[in-house]
Amino acid sequence: MAKHFQRKGQRLLGLDKQSWIKGFFGSNAGLSIVVLFLICLFLMIEAFRFFPAHHELLKVNRQSGQEFVDHIIDEADGYQEFVSYTNQAYFAEYDERFEKERGIKDSWGALLGEIEDNGEDQIEVLEEARDGDDPAVLEKAEAEWKAFLAELTSEVDRAEIDSFNRLEEYPEAWNDLLKSALTYDPIEEETPAFVADAIKTQEEGMKSFTEAKTEITASGRALKDLRAKLVKITAQIAEDVELDKSAADRKAAILEGAKVLEGEAREAALAEAEKIVIRDEFPYAERVKPLSESKENHEKAAAELREKLTTGIAKLPTKFQSDKAAELVAKIRNGREPYLKNLDRSVQKASEWQFDEKVGFLQSIAKFFFGSKWVTNSSWTEVYGLGPLFTGSIMISLIALFVAVPLSIGAAIYVNRLATRREQTLIKPSIEMIQAIPSIVLGFFGIMVLGEVLQDLSQRPFLSWIPGFPIQDRLNALNAGLLLGLMAVPTIFTLCEDALNNVPRAFSEASLALGASKLQTVIRVVVPSAISGILAAVLLGLGRVIGETMVVLLVAGNRIAMPAWGDGVSIITQPTHTMTGIIAQEMPEVGAGTLHYRALFLVGLVLFSISLMINVGAQKIIKRLGHAS
Amino acid sequence: MSDTLPILDSADAPHIATNETIINIDDLSFSYDLGKTNTLRNISLEIPKGKVTAFIGPSGCGKSTLLRCLNRMNDLVDTAKVTTGKINILGQDINASDVDAIELRKHVGMVFQKYNPFPKSIYENVAYGLRVQGIKNKSILDQAVEESLQKSALWSEVKDRLNDSALGLSGGQQQRLCIARTIAVKPQIVLMDEPCSALDPIATARIEELIAELQQEFTIVIVTHNMQQATRVSDRTAFFYLGELIEYADTQVIFGNPSKKQTEDYVSGRFG
Repeated sequence: MAKHFQRKGQRLLGLDKQSWIKGFFGSNAGLSIVVLFLICLFLMIEAFRFFPAHHELLKVNRQSGQEFVDHIIDEADGYQEFVSYTNQAYFAEYDERFEKERGIKDSWGALLGEIEDNGEDQIEVLEEARDGDDPAVLEKAEAEWKAFLAELTSEVDRAEIDSFNRLEEYPEAWNDLLKSALTYDPIEEETPAFVADAIKTQEEGMKSFTEAKTEITASGRALKDLRAKLVKITAQIAEDVELDKSAADRKAAILEGAKVLEGEAREAALAEAEKIVIRDEFPYAERVKPLSESKENHEKAAAELREKLTTGIAKLPTKFQSDKAAELVAKIRNGREPYLKNLDRSVQKASEWQFDEKVGFLQSIAKFFFGSKWVTNSSWTEVYGLGPLFTGSIMISLIALFVAVPLSIGAAIYVNRLATRREQTLIKPSIEMIQAIPSIVLGFFGIMVLGEVLQDLSQRPFLSWIPGFPIQDRLNALNAGLLLGLMAVPTIFTLCEDALNNVPRAFSEASLALGASKLQTVIRVVVPSAISGILAAVLLGLGRVIGETMVVLLVAGNRIAMPAWGDGVSIITQPTHTMTGIIAQEMPEVGAGTLHYRALFLVGLVLFSISLMINVGAQKIIKRLGHAS
Repeated sequence: MSDTLPILDSADAPHIATNETIINIDDLSFSYDLGKTNTLRNISLEIPKGKVTAFIGPSGCGKSTLLRCLNRMNDLVDTAKVTTGKINILGQDINASDVDAIELRKHVGMVFQKYNPFPKSIYENVAYGLRVQGIKNKSILDQAVEESLQKSALWSEVKDRLNDSALGLSGGQQQRLCIARTIAVKPQIVLMDEPCSALDPIATARIEELIAELQQEFTIVIVTHNMQQATRVSDRTAFFYLGELIEYADTQVIFGNPSKKQTEDYVSGRFG
């Protein structure tokens, strides 16, 4: 019998050609899914292992007393800020009020320096002549000195002496200085009367401010000293703990090494190995005793700080000639109350510190998610708090959406409903072109152009009413937000345009036939009908923005700190850091398996979850609202 | 209101059937491609006030195009252009440069082939035309909504669910809602572009009844594919073929004793 339906072709491993082809395509799809699964798994394993390690860190921090000392460090840092503001205010005011006097004083000093540097030999000759008793030599020396002074004063350039140009507008004072210099006696070293007057005037004028400044500066001295002392002790403890951990290994290593040594060297090595004590438990109780005993001192120092800071600030003048000084002093005055409150709280917490209290595991989770500090580059401590990065990311994203949403929805409405065909063919590809700009190029533009322009613009007096203007830092959240907004425009625009396109023509025709204008039709019928698509577009734009790395890394300023909420809206002009930026910046430098490395993975996981939620949310919106219309 | 159509407020207008002409089309040619080819050619036609006028003809004959010329819906097509002739509505040339198409459409309403209520509530659908005119007074809107729904014979069916989505109504109800929406702005003329083509026979019958009622108050121009419908609802009928007006007369004449061969062939079903 002839076989009509027999399979043709060769079979490989029991499969024919069709099965192989099917298998090839199937394996492609399968591989992608497997890779995705592996990535998720890896991310989660690495990230979740952060928590136990973090717990361990917090435990050591508590046991070694670092937790206690951290409170004192924070308090002292806050105090230092007051000192720095006071100094800035002081010198701003000083300059404004006593420019001439300060110019005279400083220039006189600089002039003397010049005279003494160049006239070293002449001064020596003069001194010898005066000590000797030859009138002819003396006369000659005096004459030579006079000639030197005359030459020097004729050559000297004001701009070089008066380095801050304080005397630019007071030429007569400069002339007086030169005249006095002509008769200067390097051995008597007398200060001319008008210079002395100038010094006196400014000292008296600034007297009350000086007193306040001295008091403020002195207020935290005890606390600062305490800090220095305790930091040393704690650092030593931390180091010893580390040594203790490796004690057994080190001992073994030295003994191993000693085997190949001979004689004295061997003896020395063995002695060294003998010295290493292997303990089951580090004697924290004994070591942290000096810390526990400092609690009282700490309270005393804080009380002193509180009192002196209050009186010092009260002594600050109330009227200023310099606006900057007035601003700074206002900042000091407003900052006092919150600072003192924090101080009390911090002292309270410090006094509650017990080295042997247990650290809850939940704390290691809470401190990560709600912590307001992220410190990794300090030899003193590591702190992993998501707060500043999360707020940074959210702030930049919101700025970006604030810019991108109206722009792209407006553009989409225009292109879809109002533009002529010619305009459509021009605008659509142009906007989509934005997507083609590599983000590194945009970042470069942000640094070199946008940052400069914004800062320049912010310094115009007529714009000073805008919160945050003038901008202090060229790289800041606003700058990054604007660029990300631009990057989000094509995404939102394209999706929005699609959504508008899907609104049936019949709706707008009906509206127009009822006597509505094109604009009314768009606002009352088309946009409401497309709202689900528009919302989804905005969400996906947010997803695009929050995951963007390069631009924020370059442009956001990368300062890891919680925004100073007290500054209101102007926080947007402050530099900030983001979740994406921190990973890009720090990942290349961390050792695999360290706590820092795990922390970065956890940040990555948080980022991934946010993106996932946004995408799922967008799809849900499209599904739910999409069906309703 | 702008300086557009000098007409009476519709409440004062005497809506009795007269021999008065409300729309006067004079030698109209119209093109969709800036005059390269004319979709309508030299059409002259007078539509009487307070009557129902039907436009019939095979597909592509231009009847819908002509209808859309009457409220300038063709403006939406960038390349559309009236090449010759004029349309006078209520004595005013509607393509004159000082005519605002938006104002025109408030006087010349339109009902579309496929019912197209907005994805809003029943109430908001009917109130829409008044809202875009800036009327916010709730009692005026309430009254207009009720009146229009009653006139379109929908009130009793929907009065308890005015805030429900209009998209939950049946097809026939949706089309009547579209009619209610159109007459809520009190136009003088209602254009209907095959209003029953998407409906089943029962819904169609109800719309036809409605047309007969509305005739009391509005001038109606209806495009239809269905010749029985034309005989049932219209007073006058215009037959179009390939962009030209072949014959225009009383409906009985067109269907009973047409003067042109083409008309006869069409109405007797020989082509079309």
